[in-house]
Amino acid sequence: MSPRAEPAPRRIAILGNPNAGKSTLFNALTGLRQKVGNYPGVTVEKKTGFCDLPSGRRAEVIDLPGSYSLQPASPDEMIVRDVLLGLQSDTPPPDLIVFVVDATNLDRHLYLALQVIELGRPLLLVLNMMDLAHARGQRMDERALERALGVPVVGISAAKGDGIAQLRELMDRDVEPSTRHFRQFPPYLQRVLDRLEHRLPRHATLPDRARHDLAVAMLLDNGEDDALASHVPPEALDDARTVARRLDEMSPGWRADDVAGRYEEISALLAESVVAPGERGDRRRDAIDRVLTHRVHGPLIFVVLMGAVFQSVFAWSLPAMNLIDLAVTRIGTIVGHAMPDGALRSLLVDGVIAGVGTTLTFVPQIAILFFFLCVLEDSGYMARAAFIMDRVMGKVGLSGRSFIPLMSSFACAIPGIMATRSIDNRRDRFTTIMIAPFMSCSARLPVYALLIGAFVPNRWVGFVTLPGITLFAMYFLGIVAAVVIAFALKRTVLRGGRPLYVMELPPYRMPSWRSVLITVRERSLLFLQKAGTVILAISVVLWFLASYPKGGEAVRALELQRAVAVVSGDSVQAHTLERQIAGAALEHSFAGQAGRFIEPSIAPLGFDWRIGIGLITSLAAREVMVSTMATVFNLGNVDNNVQPLRQSLRVATDARTGARAYTPLAGVSLMVFYVLACQCMSTLAVVRRETNSWRWPIFMLVMMNALAWLASFAVFQGGKLLGFGA
Amino acid sequence: MNAAPRNDAAAERALDTLSSGERGVIAALDCEPSVARRLMELGLVPGTEIVVIRRAPLGDPLEVSVRGVRLSLRRSEARRIHVAPR
Repeated sequence: MSPRAEPAPRRIAILGNPNAGKSTLFNALTGLRQKVGNYPGVTVEKKTGFCDLPSGRRAEVIDLPGSYSLQPASPDEMIVRDVLLGLQSDTPPPDLIVFVVDATNLDRHLYLALQVIELGRPLLLVLNMMDLAHARGQRMDERALERALGVPVVGISAAKGDGIAQLRELMDRDVEPSTRHFRQFPPYLQRVLDRLEHRLPRHATLPDRARHDLAVAMLLDNGEDDALASHVPPEALDDARTVARRLDEMSPGWRADDVAGRYEEISALLAESVVAPGERGDRRRDAIDRVLTHRVHGPLIFVVLMGAVFQSVFAWSLPAMNLIDLAVTRIGTIVGHAMPDGALRSLLVDGVIAGVGTTLTFVPQIAILFFFLCVLEDSGYMARAAFIMDRVMGKVGLSGRSFIPLMSSFACAIPGIMATRSIDNRRDRFTTIMIAPFMSCSARLPVYALLIGAFVPNRWVGFVTLPGITLFAMYFLGIVAAVVIAFALKRTVLRGGRPLYVMELPPYRMPSWRSVLITVRERSLLFLQKAGTVILAISVVLWFLASYPKGGEAVRALELQRAVAVVSGDSVQAHTLERQIAGAALEHSFAGQAGRFIEPSIAPLGFDWRIGIGLITSLAAREVMVSTMATVFNLGNVDNNVQPLRQSLRVATDARTGARAYTPLAGVSLMVFYVLACQCMSTLAVVRRETNSWRWPIFMLVMMNALAWLASFAVFQGGKLLGFGA
Repeated sequence: MNAAPRNDAAAERALDTLSSGERGVIAALDCEPSVARRLMELGLVPGTEIVVIRRAPLGDPLEVSVRGVRLSLRRSEARRIHVAPR
């Protein structure tokens, strides 16, 4: 290595219980230098970032999923164990573990900390939320804690930024691993474990340190630890199961024998280093909880809050949307005037600018929605929502745990489906996965916004506007569908017993705005990247499909008529014919042929072939519908301006009859279709990976699209019967 | 644990019968071994004080406080957690 080469970055892992404030610390350390990906083979999110250490050295920081124990009960916890034991091939064990504990709950948080300290890797213990601990009168002797644990201890407040500089300082130093061993397994179990450990082969892929913990995992496994099979030979696993069965007969409590011992050790340890507050300072949270989880106000506040969120998403984003609309129109006009008429201008203005520009319009809504979801999560309200909703979710055989993945699915079903990894019970998890796409995701928001903008009058009804109510109704319809499907699944293919349901209710906290904004930025960028690549590509392909082949008899005939009209000075007639020519040209194109082809099957829903084109391209991603419509309708325009799409939809006419193409009822029918239909290849791909089978994604596709067709049929035909067809 | 010796079995009650604000000491976890282990890892170790804080608006689940942590527990699980008077 040349002397000037930069040393390899120090690899640092942040670890801790859920709600310890890991992500806030991660954001405080790395800021905007973050990368979000997946662990290979699974869809547990892998977050890495970079930060500079005081010496000038760089550190690669990895934010490991929150865990309660090294004996995993979920795929997230399996990843953590595998990384720490050196079994995760893409993520070698870190040079330093930054273990984050909630200083106000040392007791419980030290349980995993002790397990990890015993692994004998360099570790820093970070006492987070020191400000809250001090505020409630808790005093800690950090040096005594250091002596007892054999690792450096530092107190910080990640949300306020206190102590981060000192932590960086410590992260720069070489830390000696602790040699402490705390409470061991009882002798009879230790003997069993030693024997199992000897059965494990000695080879490079299995580090010595991992052997003991693997032996523990093998013994405690109840057949759900998928990762085990790839790390240990099947004979050893069979052996462990036999031993476990024998232990079950001899000493039924053995599976938890070490847990009580460890907690005794923690109590002894804390007695020397922590002066617990005389009274737990829980008054504030109790006062808030008395309101938020109150029998009457609780659910009421929940509903009002959700309603307010969706109303705000719609109302607050409007000015920004209009601004972007305006800018895109300008750019389209400028480019249109600067370039000679021809295929390239058409491609740029009608394909690229119209497609991406229209999608850009919806970034404000996505950012605002993510902002609210993030604030609700970080403040601790999301857990209360799960607490309130558990009974309801229980009715369909799910738990409050499914609530948060489903709530996240309002942003996007993909992270939502990925978040189901925290659901221990397989049947609950699969049910949640299957209903997650019914939650109206942010990709549907552009479609709703477009259709509401086009067809729902902006009128005040009491405290809210009609568009707000409509938007809320669409979200609500998705929830109703999800409930019905979950109910059906839990009584048929996914029938089974009730899972263990325990959830932590964290204290209320002021969210770290920096952390919230980083998340909002990250998620918006992810959406934009999608918009920038997939949507651009599809816009261009669509532009081609909608532009070629040129000509056609109908077009030539209309062009002749127009020429006559122009010569005779009938400009109104010429203008009308101009529109009809554009319509006929589109109808003649590849896209028009495809739309026509499916038109008979969607006509009963109130859709014509142009919507058909949108439905076809939506299969790539729902938001593509909007750019498709933009492309389709801009090609139909006489001038080359990017006219606001809403207006185009409203005034669109049927080329044959000249009548209005879409009634408001058809708009509602189309929205209903988008609520229920499975139109996202990415979702299907994630479902395939999460369920490890093609059966579930195929089932999802068929079930959702059948439901969408039936519901839209009912809305459109039923609405016409009731006289809403005009 | 269900195998642990229990002297005051008569005085024991199921956790879900405690009213809001009532305290007790965990005596035994009468559930499936892997469930018992996870509950204990979360701090519900026999001998630990537990307080029922409140019930959710629809009566289920319960919010309990154990080792300074607030947990939400379903009644179906709370029923299998035996507590002794303090």
